[in-house]
Amino acid sequence: MAGFSELIKNFDKTRDYVRDFFIYGCKVRSDFNRKSSRTYDDEKRRVESWIGDYMRYDDSVRGRQVSISVDSGHIPENPLYSAFYSRSFTDNDIRLHFLLLDILSQEERLTLRRITDLLESEYGFFFEEQTVRNKLREYTGEGIVIAEKQGKSMVYSLTPDRADEYLASLPGLEDAVKFFSEVQSFGVVGNSILKSLGLKNDLFFIKHNYIIHTLEDLLLPELLRAIDQERYVTVTVFPGRRDRDHSGEEKERLLLPMQIFSSAQTGRRYAAGYAPDLRRFTAMRLDNIKSVRAGEVCTDWRTLKKSFDKAAGRCFGVSFGTSKEDSGRSPMKIEFFADPIAEHYVIERLEREKRCCTLERTGDHIYTLTTDVHDANEIMHWIKTFIGRIKRIEGGPDSVRARFYSDIYRMDKMYGGDEDEHIQ
Amino acid sequence: MNIFSEIYGAYFRILAQLLEAGTTDDKTVRERIMKEGFRDSILFLPQKLIPGREDWGLFRRGSDGSLKRITRSAPPKILTGLQRSWLKAKLSDPRIRLFMEEDALAELDRRLENTEPLYRQEHFRITDRPTEHDPYDDPEYIANFRTVLRAVKERRILEIGFVSGKGNRVFGSFVMLKMEYSPRHDRSRVYCYQLKSGRISSSGIINMGRIRFVRDTGEVFREEISMESYFSSRKCSSPAVVRVTPERNAVERFMLEFASFEKHTVRDQGTGEHTVELWYDQQDETELLIRLLSFGPVIEIMGPERLRAQARERVRRQAELLEKYDGGWKND
Repeated sequence: MAGFSELIKNFDKTRDYVRDFFIYGCKVRSDFNRKSSRTYDDEKRRVESWIGDYMRYDDSVRGRQVSISVDSGHIPENPLYSAFYSRSFTDNDIRLHFLLLDILSQEERLTLRRITDLLESEYGFFFEEQTVRNKLREYTGEGIVIAEKQGKSMVYSLTPDRADEYLASLPGLEDAVKFFSEVQSFGVVGNSILKSLGLKNDLFFIKHNYIIHTLEDLLLPELLRAIDQERYVTVTVFPGRRDRDHSGEEKERLLLPMQIFSSAQTGRRYAAGYAPDLRRFTAMRLDNIKSVRAGEVCTDWRTLKKSFDKAAGRCFGVSFGTSKEDSGRSPMKIEFFADPIAEHYVIERLEREKRCCTLERTGDHIYTLTTDVHDANEIMHWIKTFIGRIKRIEGGPDSVRARFYSDIYRMDKMYGGDEDEHIQ
Repeated sequence: MNIFSEIYGAYFRILAQLLEAGTTDDKTVRERIMKEGFRDSILFLPQKLIPGREDWGLFRRGSDGSLKRITRSAPPKILTGLQRSWLKAKLSDPRIRLFMEEDALAELDRRLENTEPLYRQEHFRITDRPTEHDPYDDPEYIANFRTVLRAVKERRILEIGFVSGKGNRVFGSFVMLKMEYSPRHDRSRVYCYQLKSGRISSSGIINMGRIRFVRDTGEVFREEISMESYFSSRKCSSPAVVRVTPERNAVERFMLEFASFEKHTVRDQGTGEHTVELWYDQQDETELLIRLLSFGPVIEIMGPERLRAQARERVRRQAELLEKYDGGWKND
């Protein structure tokens, strides 16, 4: 384990491992065959170091299974935020950080020369001017330092914004930061404010808390910038996400991102936009994306965005379907049985969750949902939450209806009616 | 601006905390690392902080053996550009009004007038946002929320009247424990214990949107309360056991959808099937059932008996409905 560091330069690889530990919870060392066993050991040790309290080990005949097991509705802080706090740095990075803050806390509007002199005379550290300049430039970009022209030279000051002063002088802000620190997107930024002040979220728990997706926040700034600048991006996809044990190469795809689609039901997020290779709109899961690289500006943005907005209005979830699936079929009508008084909660749920569909009462105890979405497969996952109440399905693709009937038939067999043998 | 930067990192934070005091000592350094660092930080960090061959030189050893910082003052707690732009984005979120009055919001807005928001609401589209959610602009809801939040912080006893999920009117005396927010439903609830004659009688969860009356009694509940016991009082006695087949990429879909549950998974090498035990809040059993049924025949609820029986009953009723009313089913 020589050379092991709990800090990392980037966490593309770590994201991949954490996801597998977290999601599957049943893999042993030999399942992680895409890299060396040394890589596996290092990644495992790193994850243990960050979130050891939530690691679970089970011995099986195949070996020791490592997983992250946590009821994420019962924790006040996303443990995976630790990954964001593990960036490696040089000795000079940390020295300069605290020395520059100290110098600029004492005096404002200092020149580079003066700062460099003070570093040596007051603290005994000699730095090249270029090193100090680069750090000041970096901190200007981070909004920590303000650089202004004074005559011919540049002078530097600290930003006047202080986290402790903001929270002390703006009533309610501390509670708001605690709340938003656990909510998508970028909750980790709020958490970083709390951490800097030695505070913790001690008020809120998040139900249906899909903590794994916080790791994708790293991709969002580049995607949002591309949306604002109307640029294409080259997206690198993790190798073989669907069949990872058999494939190898990372894949690159071109996308003109237009919006981030986000599911409150599953926590999943997608980069949605125009895919030139497919010549249609598409949505790519962020957890499958390793990295994003900005490309050319799109000259036809406005027209494409207009079409995108129109098309997105007919997405039940995130799928834009294919033109083949979408052509020459009638809207789908699904009838539900529900007693409007005794079973009002069923009708309320239909109303609440119907999204772009329409719902009307069409009989004594009958409610009809009409839908004309791009991809009827997406709606069926939700429709099946009403199993036991669906009277009839009409329209839509034949294949979707046939699969529904087949699913119910198989489930009826599986659960066996009165002949059920599986009861434990 | 990038959140994955060392300036937000654990090592920088630990050092900032240690530099707060003019003087510290080796023991405090190690304790701080153990408290704030990662599990292995104690192997890597002390030698960087305590004067020696590898240290960063930010402390000097005093004649009394103590550690004295070389900086003149405590590090300022800068609100960085990224953190300011995050706050700016939150100004457009209606939920911020649950916490802050208009004058405080106006002041925050003024301070951030030259800051670009980290994101705008229109950058995101929540594809499955429910049409109904808590009324974040309703003054009565906001007032109730703040009363409950204050009671959570100070463990105050409240009298609350609310409408239960089944439509019953409930009135009682409650001690507030913690608040819960569900992104799925865009609603808040509060965990509480109901009190009778000043003693805990039962655990409960109240939907904030269903509260019709709330009064602060001015009393504080002084007995110790552990959230662990609260959660275990609501936990199912035996977990749901689910068989997940590899068909239709079900394993990945299932694991992602149920990622927020405490669970234990075993894979059958031969078939590729996974058997998953899921622990859940008893109050959420129906919600769990319908979510499991939505996976169709690619998963099977194996137990407990009560849950499987409910699945069987719903599926049977569904087959009968299609048999009776749907011509497509008959032709299948």
